Amino acid sequence: MRSTLIRPIPGFVLALVVAALLSACGGSPPPQGKVYRHSIDGTPTSLDPAQSATIYSSVVVVNVFDTLYRYKYLARPYELTPNLALGLPEVSDDGLVYTFRIRDDARFTDDPAFAGGIGRAVTVHDLVYSLQRHFDPATRSRGAWLWQGRIVGMAEWAEAGADYDRPVEGLKPIDDDTLEVHLLEPFPQLTYTFATAFSALVPREAVEHHGREFAIRPVGSGPFRLTSFDSARATFEANPHFVRDPLDLAAEGFDPERHAGLGLESLDGGRYPFLDGLEIHFIEENAARWSSFARGNEVHNVMVPNEQVDRVLARRSPIRFTDEIEAKYHGMAGLEAGFVYGGFNMDDPRFGHHPDPDQDAANRAFRCAVRDAFDWQARNDTFYYGLAEVFPGVIPPVVPEFDPTLSEASITRDVEGARQRLAEYGWDEASLPTLTYGFVSAVQQRQMFEQLRAQLGDIGYPVDRLVPETFATFGDYYEAVKTLRVDLFYLAWTLDYPDAQNTLQLFYGPNASPGSNNFNYRNPEFDALYERSRTMQPGPERTALYREMNRMVIDDCVTISGLSRTRIHLWHKDAIMVPDREILAGYFMRFVDLVEPDQADG
Amino acid sequence: MNPGADAPLTADVDARTPLQDARAAFLADRWAVTGLLTVLVCFIMALGAWLGLWATGWSELGDQRWAGPSADHWLGTNLLGQDIFQRAVASTRTAFEVGVLVAVASTVLGAVLGGLAGYSAGSWIDSIILWLKGTLDAIPFYLFVAAVAFALKGNPWAMHIAMTATFWTTTGRLVRGEVLRLKNREFVEAARALGLPHRIVLFRHILPNTVPVLLVQATITFVAAIKSEVILSFLGLGIQDGVSWGLMIAESSQEVLAGHYMNFIAASGFLFVLVMGFNLFADGLQDALDPKRAVKR
Amino acid sequence: MNTLRLVLRKLAGGIPLVLGVTLISFVLMVYYGPDLTYTLLSKNPTAEEIASVRAQLGYDRPFWWRYIDYLRELVTLDFGHSFSSGERVTSLLARTLPVSLALLAPGFVLGNLLGIAFGLLAAWHRGGWIDKLIMGFSVVGMSISFLVVIVAFQALFGVVLGWFPVRGWNVHDLPSYLYYVTVPTLASVFVALGYNTRFFRAVLVEELGRDHVRTARAFGAGPLSVMMKNVLMNAMIPIVTRVLFSIPLVVVSGSLLIESYFGIPGIGKATFEAITSGDQPVLKAVVGLTALLFVVILIAADVLYTWLDPRVSLDRAEAA
Repeated sequence: MRSTLIRPIPGFVLALVVAALLSACGGSPPPQGKVYRHSIDGTPTSLDPAQSATIYSSVVVVNVFDTLYRYKYLARPYELTPNLALGLPEVSDDGLVYTFRIRDDARFTDDPAFAGGIGRAVTVHDLVYSLQRHFDPATRSRGAWLWQGRIVGMAEWAEAGADYDRPVEGLKPIDDDTLEVHLLEPFPQLTYTFATAFSALVPREAVEHHGREFAIRPVGSGPFRLTSFDSARATFEANPHFVRDPLDLAAEGFDPERHAGLGLESLDGGRYPFLDGLEIHFIEENAARWSSFARGNEVHNVMVPNEQVDRVLARRSPIRFTDEIEAKYHGMAGLEAGFVYGGFNMDDPRFGHHPDPDQDAANRAFRCAVRDAFDWQARNDTFYYGLAEVFPGVIPPVVPEFDPTLSEASITRDVEGARQRLAEYGWDEASLPTLTYGFVSAVQQRQMFEQLRAQLGDIGYPVDRLVPETFATFGDYYEAVKTLRVDLFYLAWTLDYPDAQNTLQLFYGPNASPGSNNFNYRNPEFDALYERSRTMQPGPERTALYREMNRMVIDDCVTISGLSRTRIHLWHKDAIMVPDREILAGYFMRFVDLVEPDQADG
Repeated sequence: MNPGADAPLTADVDARTPLQDARAAFLADRWAVTGLLTVLVCFIMALGAWLGLWATGWSELGDQRWAGPSADHWLGTNLLGQDIFQRAVASTRTAFEVGVLVAVASTVLGAVLGGLAGYSAGSWIDSIILWLKGTLDAIPFYLFVAAVAFALKGNPWAMHIAMTATFWTTTGRLVRGEVLRLKNREFVEAARALGLPHRIVLFRHILPNTVPVLLVQATITFVAAIKSEVILSFLGLGIQDGVSWGLMIAESSQEVLAGHYMNFIAASGFLFVLVMGFNLFADGLQDALDPKRAVKR
Repeated sequence: MNTLRLVLRKLAGGIPLVLGVTLISFVLMVYYGPDLTYTLLSKNPTAEEIASVRAQLGYDRPFWWRYIDYLRELVTLDFGHSFSSGERVTSLLARTLPVSLALLAPGFVLGNLLGIAFGLLAAWHRGGWIDKLIMGFSVVGMSISFLVVIVAFQALFGVVLGWFPVRGWNVHDLPSYLYYVTVPTLASVFVALGYNTRFFRAVLVEELGRDHVRTARAFGAGPLSVMMKNVLMNAMIPIVTRVLFSIPLVVVSGSLLIESYFGIPGIGKATFEAITSGDQPVLKAVVGLTALLFVVILIAADVLYTWLDPRVSLDRAEAA
């Protein structure tokens, strides 16, 4: 009896292990031909365009799906160019009606969702559906805010139950390839929004067929078709149905001087995508990502982590790579399309807005003193290897409205000035408020906190008055910010499109928490200017308004801002490309080519 | 089998001689004494840091980052220009807090609950303890720690409590197994036949026999607590404020590939010395307390 | 018959365990876990959007309804879709679990076998130089952080020597399996070996000190036969206990660091991501299935106890 019962147990365990081995070995063999392996430093959770709010999702989404527009591969500053669209839209004189035309030769990839499993042609009805989806609560869209209150009839459509068989008044298909978009008020950024991953065209059949799993089984008409996806990587094969005009290098902004030696010339006039397969590896740990790159036959590219900067660069300004790096890899550096900044919760009467003008002024003095104590130079040297660009205000260098002549007083450390400000307004050790500083519990965030605490100590702010509150995840931290539980926060903003309106909306009163205005900054003058500039076409007049708003934010010491990080990219010499994830997300991958089929599989 | 040989520490016959023997044997073991001294030195370092006698400047920023060892900074400086030696010393305090608290708490909890469960195997007491043990074991460690950390938001002991709640079960299970094995032994039956209360039988006759297992388990728990702290700190679930070897190693795990070794060397060196000392000490103790020592030598 | 009855009773006895585990963890995740609302929302959410997301996540329903739903899901083994990716939880498990098992099985088996072997060797030569050498190495192994081992091995085997991949899991046949599994296995064996050797040695030393072993040795029994017959068999209870009960931990959390550092899409990483992101459907599945696994192991352990040491009476174990 004893033995009969015992025997099955090891047998069972063995069977389990064997079964596990077998099924773990059941993966498909590696793709053949030219396979480019890309690395990024985070993992997307959802590949549904409506939820692609992170750079990691967008990188995948724009390769699987089509958007109407994209940015030129090589032109800087960033310039829009048609992707699925034919030319730029026709805009009515009052700026309220946009007419978009799209290619008639685009097809979705084959999928069981379609009749007969064969992908059908892409039409403007798919664009209408994709936009409607954002306003259907069931979609859990993270991009609806782009078009909120913009499109005629959309709110009513959602109100009436989000029935896709009912039309939206402001989205009028003229034929299969032409769409009129009617706006409630002029929206000069509309064309930009059609270059975001949020705007990608999804087929209704596939969304309905796959249900919630559409987010991991995307079906699109982009240059690649997803073949597998998990938390470590996504693999793709070239989409055979993908047809575009041959690559015109000059039109993409090729500069023989800036792009010399990268081998891009060989691509001119070619049909893209050039690759047979694409892999995107999600590697969060800097050390692992660097090792995988340095190994040679694994990932082709890396965004240089901070710790490696000393080894990679011979000079910082201007950036020059060491001979060793120069000999082995191609490299390029550029500013991010975004910035990091600190901010106060202005809703708190201890240091924010206050109805009493005297106290309001004292509170402003306190905030300005904290800003004066903050040492951007040290922050840059310590955490960004002195490579980042510190700029005053909230209009970062990457957008055309950036003002290089702005006073640098707000980003210059002034310990004496800070002490004077505090003394002048009667702040002393007894009256200084306690600030809760929230951060995501990670090594670097903690080091940043320790640095800030020590810097504040220099102006006489007691070290135990800056209280750390750690959060296990960014979601929790963000919730704490949104629910006003932290007094002082440090965040990063990534631009959705290269227009300063995208950062100024962070200070617009009606956007206050839980909206994007985490500062809860409420300044009627600012709001009036913002509302005026909102409907204006780009031009000197609008830029002047933008800069005026920027000055208000600086004068009120709402934010400690800002710093744009420099991204240094390295890639193996067999890859012909210019990788840039700013604004472009993953658009460049369709133009990547490999010198010869890569035999070694990593 | 001779019951007397199995009931060492608290042998009713003669409690004096074995203890003196054990002390003599321990002192004769050079490695054990070295271990004890190492632990004592670390403990004094921790105590001094706790009382604010030294290593008070662990969070002060310096001008020079990644400085090499010098007279000012014995082990150099880190990214923020903070003194690595002071940080390592200040971390000794954290390590003792975490290690001692968790080891003592989980060993006591494990011995008592495990002993009770084993002794009363089959009763409702055993069932409840087993249920609790099984329940805690079956919840994934990181989920548990994360959840407890959330639950005790801001409480500096969140990690300690979570670790204790998880670690005692291993000790408890081993003790229960031992007790199950021992309770059918002749000396236990004899004690029971004499009509001794269960409490006495369990705590004075059975549990002392599990001391070797407890010691080994306490060592493992001490080390496990310190090492879990490293991983939890790396995952952002560790200590809330202050400095620890875990935080230092988490920092250094990104730095070593870039050629900055001092943070890593300092933290893992201190960790290594303390763990090593503790192990040598515990081994020597275990040998010295072993009643069969005389026979074996 | 006795054993069959034991198993059946233990199965019934497993129900309170499963209820306890699910209840405690559900309380933890519902009341104290991360709130996914703000992760799923856009950068500029409205109050209605917040309410709608909360409703979709079920946050606004009474606790007990949600718990009963959980139990129903556990019985039907249908946990719905992941909150964050939308993937079916069952297909997520079917995708990640085999990878973790294949990844960890060799390290687990080797770590324990080598641990027992070294433990035996050290225990037998207790006090001698072999013992000191083995224990010295095991202390060194125990004192090095897992994190550092992983980073060091990755750099050594992947970059410096270039023998094995730095990361990834592109397994489709035996050679590719060995190619990807070797470095993680080495790292986990390296880390586990110190602990295992130390533990097994302590247990075996204890056993070696017993009278009957001493007697057997005194009567000139050879080392191997003494070890096998008298020592190993008697030490089986603690050994089996340790090995059996580390299985669920290895499966669920033991692989987290390896999986995230080596970029392997296993269950450990998926679980941790679910913990930190508050992905309740995935957590509910992992926690519930771990509890079931524990019940199976508890039964196995008790049956094994009675088999290994007949003095542990069935009646006692049965009721335990």
